[in-house]
Amino acid sequence: MTVFLQSVISGVLVGGVYALIGIGLTMIFGVMRVINFAHGDLLMLGMYVTWRAFDGLGMDPFLSLVITAPALFLWGAFLQSAVINRVLNALPQNQILLTIGLGLIMSNAVMLKYTSDYRIITTSYSSASYMLGGLSISQPLLYGFLITAAITAVLYWFLLRTDTGQAIRATAQDREAAQLMGIDVRAMSVLAFGIGAALAGTAGALISPTYYIFPQVGGIFTLKAFVIVVLGGMGSVVGATLGGIIIGVTESLSAVYIASGLKELVVFVLFLALLLFKPSGLLGKTRA
Amino acid sequence: MIARPPRGAALLWLLVGAAAVAFLVVFGLVVKKPYVLHMGIMLFQAILLGQAWNVIGGYTGQYSVGHAAYFGVGAYTTIMLLMTHGIAPWWGVWLGMANAVLLSLVIGSITFRLRGPYFVLASISVAEIIRLAALHFKSFTRGAEGFLLDAVPSLRVLGTEIEFVGKRPFYFMALGLAVASVIANWAVERSKLGYYFQAIREDQDAAHALGINLTAYKNVALAISAAFTALAGGFSAMYVKWVDPNAFSLPEVSIPIVLTVIIGGIGTIAGPVVGAMVLVPLQEILRNPKGLVQVGILSSDSSVVTFLAPFANAHQLFYGILVVLVILFAPDGVLGVIKSSLRKGRRRREARPAAPAAPA
Amino acid sequence: MADPILQIRHVSKFFGGLAANSDVSFEMELGMIMGLIGPNGAGKTTLFNCITGYYPPSRGDVIFKGVRLNGLQPDAVCRLGMVRTWQKVKPLAKLSVIDNVMVGALLRTRKLSVAREVAMEQLHVVRMEHKAELAAGGLPIGERKKLEVARALATKPELLLLDEVMGGLNPAESDEIIQLILDLKKAGLTQMVIEHDMKAIMRISDRIVVLNSGEKLAEGGPREIADHPDVITAYLGERVE
Repeated sequence: MTVFLQSVISGVLVGGVYALIGIGLTMIFGVMRVINFAHGDLLMLGMYVTWRAFDGLGMDPFLSLVITAPALFLWGAFLQSAVINRVLNALPQNQILLTIGLGLIMSNAVMLKYTSDYRIITTSYSSASYMLGGLSISQPLLYGFLITAAITAVLYWFLLRTDTGQAIRATAQDREAAQLMGIDVRAMSVLAFGIGAALAGTAGALISPTYYIFPQVGGIFTLKAFVIVVLGGMGSVVGATLGGIIIGVTESLSAVYIASGLKELVVFVLFLALLLFKPSGLLGKTRA
Repeated sequence: MIARPPRGAALLWLLVGAAAVAFLVVFGLVVKKPYVLHMGIMLFQAILLGQAWNVIGGYTGQYSVGHAAYFGVGAYTTIMLLMTHGIAPWWGVWLGMANAVLLSLVIGSITFRLRGPYFVLASISVAEIIRLAALHFKSFTRGAEGFLLDAVPSLRVLGTEIEFVGKRPFYFMALGLAVASVIANWAVERSKLGYYFQAIREDQDAAHALGINLTAYKNVALAISAAFTALAGGFSAMYVKWVDPNAFSLPEVSIPIVLTVIIGGIGTIAGPVVGAMVLVPLQEILRNPKGLVQVGILSSDSSVVTFLAPFANAHQLFYGILVVLVILFAPDGVLGVIKSSLRKGRRRREARPAAPAAPA
Repeated sequence: MADPILQIRHVSKFFGGLAANSDVSFEMELGMIMGLIGPNGAGKTTLFNCITGYYPPSRGDVIFKGVRLNGLQPDAVCRLGMVRTWQKVKPLAKLSVIDNVMVGALLRTRKLSVAREVAMEQLHVVRMEHKAELAAGGLPIGERKKLEVARALATKPELLLLDEVMGGLNPAESDEIIQLILDLKKAGLTQMVIEHDMKAIMRISDRIVVLNSGEKLAEGGPREIADHPDVITAYLGERVE
């Protein structure tokens, strides 16, 4: 039983961070109908920024968020206005290929600069954990989860209570109608991509104390992000939040009860099953 | 099949093609440097893979970015049958193709009800599942270690013994396979299959309502595509003599296949050829700039070599840049660019009586 | 009446809570032209979709040539001899005009040469032979509509369903289509025509079915329908001449 609870708890903690990745991706899809295959690589960039801040400036990964998040936001905004915006009316298949290309550029540029060597960030608390009634709760995961919860709360507040946030939601719901209402849909797209990138980068920063950092790490996160988003429903922020936690727990349980090497495979199989049987996900709006 | 070219054009292409093949055959007999033969082999393999993908991606409009699944199945089947059961690769590869076709039926039944980007994602997932399985189930696939082959058995044909030593035999085999794939594509384009495939690409609902069984035809397209892709996998296994789970890799196999066709011009027969002619030299030069020195094109202290040296493993970077550039500026590939500049030239030169109105 | 070629029996179609079609029933005889009219949102295209198998009806039966169609896929329906055109026209854009029609013709033959002949015949019927080699995507709307009709005719149908084929056409083009429909009738083809153009419907229809809010409001000959008070009300003052 303890093993089970332990597994679930780790799963939830990681799942929170996964939720951030999923929310970013679903926002991008919601506002622009673009399937961003480079999302994991944005996370990877967040990891590297965090590592440089740690290695070069001695900054704690959770503190350097104040650098990482804005940096990724600006990068995402740039990508949207310079590249993505041009293909909003292209075939969706071409859009995916384009973002795949962007992902390849990012991961390989990083590889050229920093080589494929695995990097790690070891803080004082990297392997520390709290003991709670026989269960061990990893400290970095817990801090990451708390920050995630805070960010998610702020994000919900932003989307629900502010004018800009509501403008973004309006654009996601009906781009033409939003435009007719006077919303600058182009700016909303830039904003959405920027926020999405910032969330991905933040997720990268938050997991950097517990993951190996290397240029190709983005790939697996991209695919996980897609499972999360399809599970929660493309375009649904709440869905992505739930989806993240569910995937986190599923992965954690698979690692324990099936085989650690197969945990990713299980996620992919789940993805296929979703696409087949419930492509609109738990809370989603669009048909596959 | 945009506005059919005059009948003479087909004959012209046939002559050009025959001449090119004749040239390549002579070239292969005459050339001495193995590196040049290697480039040729890579080129022909890329053409084979591109033509194969074109059937499902170009004609039928279903962009599979997980074709490595079929490549890997072909490669593993061929090498495993040889190494563990002693079955010669010219038989083994047929089984590899059969396996790939079966796999394609399974994958098709799962993914074809999905449209557009969801189909892309599903195709990627399937290939990844297979790759991860190949890594994990070591007792069957030898995991990351893979299969390492000593030598390819010789082939007895019409009384002569063909030894697969050195690059030359592989060059001619690859050339033959590439030509076969071009002919197959040409045959498909000029058949009921070709018309139905393209109808599905252009408008699935309209095609369905015109009596086209979408699932059946998509499956046929994918099966043809999978078979030829597996053929390439089997060939590659024999040429490189090593198969590991990277045969199922997204950035190493699936993406370059799609790139070849997109860069050249999707949905055309010449497209994969043109695309291969752009990508393969780029790929090889990046992977091995010293190869250019070997061939005598560059001197060993040339600035080009020094510039390219650090990029040796970053050929994927250039794939990425190419994809972005092509999709942004030339989504119909090199052929598309050529065709539209020809069209602009023609319009300027003559006034056409029934010129189509601006497309809606 | 001999066995009717098409029987619509109590067909209903629900989307969630919305009844797009509600208990619609009528029959069509061989060789007739049935007009299907109603205000926007009345459920006309939904009915077409149910009949042709784009989706199955939620309730009721569609019987074509004595065969119950419910749940049959659109390609099987087409093979049986029923073909439709689309309200939002669907050309196979990158294919040439003649290739478009050939796709239709290939339903009945495997040989490209035969399909090509059939296609040229149909292009001749709609007077577009001279445009055979042009890309379909570049055609103006009137020709796209004609192309779609030619393509449908190439499948050698017994029943042709036309969904607002005159939408967006100028009077000359509409007249051409009307003449085409009448000629096809003379050749023995049964047709159901959704149209907003009242003059046209009155001219060509043998019988008219009026839908409103998913229900069948009225059925009768053109004169009956023109004078029908409920129909006039449903259209809110639109003059039905």
